[in-house]
Amino acid sequence: MDIQSTIDLIDYCERENKTIAEAMIDQEQVRSGRSREQIFEMMKERFLKMQSAVQDGLNDASEAPSGISGGDAVKMKKYIEAGDMLSGSIISDAMACSMATSETNARMGVIVATPTAGAAGILPGVLFSLQKNTDLEDDDLVMGLFTASMLGYIIANRSFISGAAGGCQAEVGSATAMAAGTIVELKGGSPRQAVHSTAIAMKSLLGLVCDPVAGLVEVPCIKRNVIGTSIAFSAADMGLAGIESRIPCDEVIDTMYDIGKDMPRALKETALGGLAITPTGQKVKERLFSKSSLVDQLRGGNEHADDRNGKSTASTETAETGGR
Amino acid sequence: MGYNSCFDIIGPIMVGPSSSHTAGAVWIGRVVYELLGKEPEEVEIQLFDSFAETYQGHGTDKALLGGLLGYDTEDERIKHAYALAEEANLSYDFTFADSCEEFDHPNVAIVHAKADGRSIVVGGASVGGGLSKIFRVNSEKTDFSISTTDDLKKLRESFSEAVGR
Repeated sequence: MDIQSTIDLIDYCERENKTIAEAMIDQEQVRSGRSREQIFEMMKERFLKMQSAVQDGLNDASEAPSGISGGDAVKMKKYIEAGDMLSGSIISDAMACSMATSETNARMGVIVATPTAGAAGILPGVLFSLQKNTDLEDDDLVMGLFTASMLGYIIANRSFISGAAGGCQAEVGSATAMAAGTIVELKGGSPRQAVHSTAIAMKSLLGLVCDPVAGLVEVPCIKRNVIGTSIAFSAADMGLAGIESRIPCDEVIDTMYDIGKDMPRALKETALGGLAITPTGQKVKERLFSKSSLVDQLRGGNEHADDRNGKSTASTETAETGGR
Repeated sequence: MGYNSCFDIIGPIMVGPSSSHTAGAVWIGRVVYELLGKEPEEVEIQLFDSFAETYQGHGTDKALLGGLLGYDTEDERIKHAYALAEEANLSYDFTFADSCEEFDHPNVAIVHAKADGRSIVVGGASVGGGLSKIFRVNSEKTDFSISTTDDLKKLRESFSEAVGR
């Protein structure tokens, strides 16, 4: 059993009368030789780690080592507690949980990549918000992670999921698309509806570049995760309303691949373009790395790429400074 | 490309901030540790393209050293890998280049390592979501995906002869 497209997936689910999550477990059993129970427990372990990352982030107002992120999840939590949010509780709570996870990630805390660390905020955002605002139990949400992983598995094998390979559309785009389909299934929608929501969410993020300031997974990554949760809920609501993506999901995924291949290197996680090279972005990079002679050399090299092939040695001191 | 399991997508459990630049880099370093059976005494690590541009922000350097010291992706000691490498008498040298001619991917590291008079070379690309592909061991071309400790075991079995263990 090897599901390589959303068409395969819908066929399997409709023929076997199974959910997307069940299809994922079936495939994992065949391929790994593990029992359903083992597979479920492994996923539950990941779910619990995700829960701790959210809790840590919601209670920690400290800055990341870089000084360019941190404290916003706590602000969001307070804002929600005041009770006058425009987006309503389901989206606001998702925003807070998503921010909490991504801030924990920036602090080099323990998180679960879903499917990457740069996009690790989106799924926990929607899952823990659904749990808070509906009657879903832990084990339902663990099943949601199987739904998400099947959708992500198809995307990852047909296209890409990392910003370095395909831009932010591959990273936040994939995670948001996975989350949209997951919400639909957790709300009782059909596999077909879930796949349409996946396509709708991904379409809305096609072309998004990966341009992290100073190469850190913080600016603009954290807030893109947060916004990804709202897109996931909107796409899920459309799917549940019976609205279909006019472009089939597999074609949307393949388009993401084509766009990513065409995207210039400067906009694929090299921090050489986009927001990374705004005056403010440059200043941040300079402030963070100015103590390092190594990076001075690298920065000079960005303008004269040919000079950079020479050998440079990182001393303990320079490299340690760079990480803070 | 090469994702085989739901846990390649939901996972790894890892220290932040980047699955491709942190967790995937841990795996590449860890492969060297597994093939040598211990921490190396001396390494030269070549970083290419996106790895070379953004390694500091992502802790790619610390992640590689953590892997070389035998850590898992979720080991919080990775943050302090430089100090711990010093303690383990691991001497390291990083070099940088724009692109790798040997393997076409933005996140490539090639590690030359020595321990107990043995030398090995491992080339790996971190392809996303914490999955790494080993494309070279010594002079031998290979195509080995690493995303779990089970994969490391398989790798040790496949390469025990190549690395003289």
